[in-house]
Amino acid sequence: MPSSSTSEPPRGDETTRLAIEEVEEAEAILEQRPPKAEGAQGEGVRGGRSGGWLTTGLAAPGFLYLGFYLLAPLVVIVLVSFWTRSDAAGGFDRVWTTANYANLFHDSTYWNNMLTTFETSLIAVGACLVLGFPVAYFLALKVQSLRMQIVLFIVALAPFWTSFLTRAIAWTFPLMGSEGALNQVLIKLHLVSHPVQQFGFSLLSVRLAMIQLYILFMITPLFFTLAQVDRSAIEAARDLGGNWWRMFLEVILPQTMPGVVIGSIFIFVLTMGDYGTVNTIGGGNITSVGTIVKSRVDVPDYPSGAAAAVLLVIVLMFGVWVITRFANLREEL
Amino acid sequence: MTAAAPAMERTQDVVVRRKVKQRRDWAKWGLGGYFVLFLIFLYIPIILMAILSFQGSYGQLTFPFRGPVSLDWWKTLFDSNVPNTVSDDVSASGRQSLWLSLVAGGIVAVLGFSLSMAFRRRWRFKSDVVAFYVIMLALMTPAFLVGLGNQLLWKFMGKTPNLWETALGANVVWGIPFSFLVMLAVWNRYDRHIEEAARDLGANAATTFREVTLPLVWTGIFGSFLFGFTLTWNDFDRTILLQNGYEAQPLPILIGTWPSSRPILPNLYALGAGTTAVTLLLLLLALVVVTVRLRFRSTPQQQAAEELGEAVGLGGAGGLAERAK
Repeated sequence: MPSSSTSEPPRGDETTRLAIEEVEEAEAILEQRPPKAEGAQGEGVRGGRSGGWLTTGLAAPGFLYLGFYLLAPLVVIVLVSFWTRSDAAGGFDRVWTTANYANLFHDSTYWNNMLTTFETSLIAVGACLVLGFPVAYFLALKVQSLRMQIVLFIVALAPFWTSFLTRAIAWTFPLMGSEGALNQVLIKLHLVSHPVQQFGFSLLSVRLAMIQLYILFMITPLFFTLAQVDRSAIEAARDLGGNWWRMFLEVILPQTMPGVVIGSIFIFVLTMGDYGTVNTIGGGNITSVGTIVKSRVDVPDYPSGAAAAVLLVIVLMFGVWVITRFANLREEL
Repeated sequence: MTAAAPAMERTQDVVVRRKVKQRRDWAKWGLGGYFVLFLIFLYIPIILMAILSFQGSYGQLTFPFRGPVSLDWWKTLFDSNVPNTVSDDVSASGRQSLWLSLVAGGIVAVLGFSLSMAFRRRWRFKSDVVAFYVIMLALMTPAFLVGLGNQLLWKFMGKTPNLWETALGANVVWGIPFSFLVMLAVWNRYDRHIEEAARDLGANAATTFREVTLPLVWTGIFGSFLFGFTLTWNDFDRTILLQNGYEAQPLPILIGTWPSSRPILPNLYALGAGTTAVTLLLLLLALVVVTVRLRFRSTPQQQAAEELGEAVGLGGAGGLAERAK
């Protein structure tokens, strides 16, 4: 075992203390005990432990990676959004300006798109919640055998691992469209007399596809929180004579709120920031904030694209903040 | 039915049990039916796509199916001697995607594992909250923002974004939080006393790690690898902004730019169905691995006993011998 470089109490003493401490720690983890005041004390005590270096060493590669490929790029987006466009090779000059934002604030196309995208996201969040909840409820509370539960959950989750783009193409060409399977079926059933034109390359198609593509991000957290709902509380509510609806509102829903919140954040963020799906299913007719940013970057006009992206992030952060008001995630995690 | 039951019988039990059972069944079948509809909604596009990829050479993009059933369109992906062939592009893209995804999977597994180890060691620290949110930020940041940011960062450094330095990194960033969460779930069920025991029996830290920790958590590491692999294998939004035209495109880029760059024929369906099939097969492989593994160990206690036996039998004894010297 690597020993510490800092001054330590006598060796035998230390090992005993460590052993006791680690057992306690393991027990706390196993029993899912919430961290208590002793945690603060533990911090001080363990700060001088040789393990501190190992911990840092273990965490460093990951955080260096995240710093370089995630945090630095986000910082650069903000920087570039305050710089001036240039036709030179780089695409921007390091001359500070707020013109990019000033132009954006007067750009009604941008804000209309922001509004439409926001509407799409709200519809997606609502629809995924309403359509996904029964699925998660069925899997978590109605399927009795654990093996069956796992199998059905994986069957429902499998499309998540496949390409969103392929699923978007599969959605667009064979299924939707004026000659798509959906229209053909509707005509065969005499529900409509002419093909519904709104199915192809339209906002309606994009919104339906969003539900289809992203609903698994809602079902997964819902499933995991529903599976942890205290069964005896459900039994108790029933024994006490509450009807199903009251039991749902007062027992199940409060315990499921973290799942609802996490799923809603996922879907809100993913649909607001979506580019590939809108582009493929909209067939170039439909725009979102994502496609606007992409088209500006393609020009290339990096500073205005970056400013558009920064405003999107601000809207995203606001939305996420509103959603997190519904549950205290920090305590749940 | 048993209204005339004697007063001595515990009627309350009977009544309650029957009532609950009836109500449950009704809701269960209703929700089960809904679940089936949901699966149809989820799978129908890709199934239609796969069916249409088996059309004859007069195949179109929509129904009706124009027969005969054939592999003609699949052949255009692999055979350079048939009409409408795309085999050159597909094989170049396929190879590029495969290597890129394998490397991404490897990096994700290593980084996610070491990050989760660090968190396991410092479970109760306040500073973990910030670190945790950074990792979750990787999960929450929209794909094209990561792509745009990396593109601008590379421009900022005066370099051209490319697949192996830029796109790979952006894809790994997407994989890390998934791997991290998988590993956290694994550590949550992990019994630390086993490590204590191994150490008490004389195994040193390296031996304990190799012979006790790794065998117990390698399914999680394998799962992390698969996450990294499939997320990269399927990514479009990040990679499209981070590739330059000089390298072979990964498969998702080939598929994504297809509708605007070449005639849309059923071989696009074949390619889409093919890449989806690869992903599903990998998922199946993962399940088989996990099932086989689970079959050997039914309860955590048994697991612990087995692994401990192994550790003591092989590594533990070795470590002890080493120490004795």
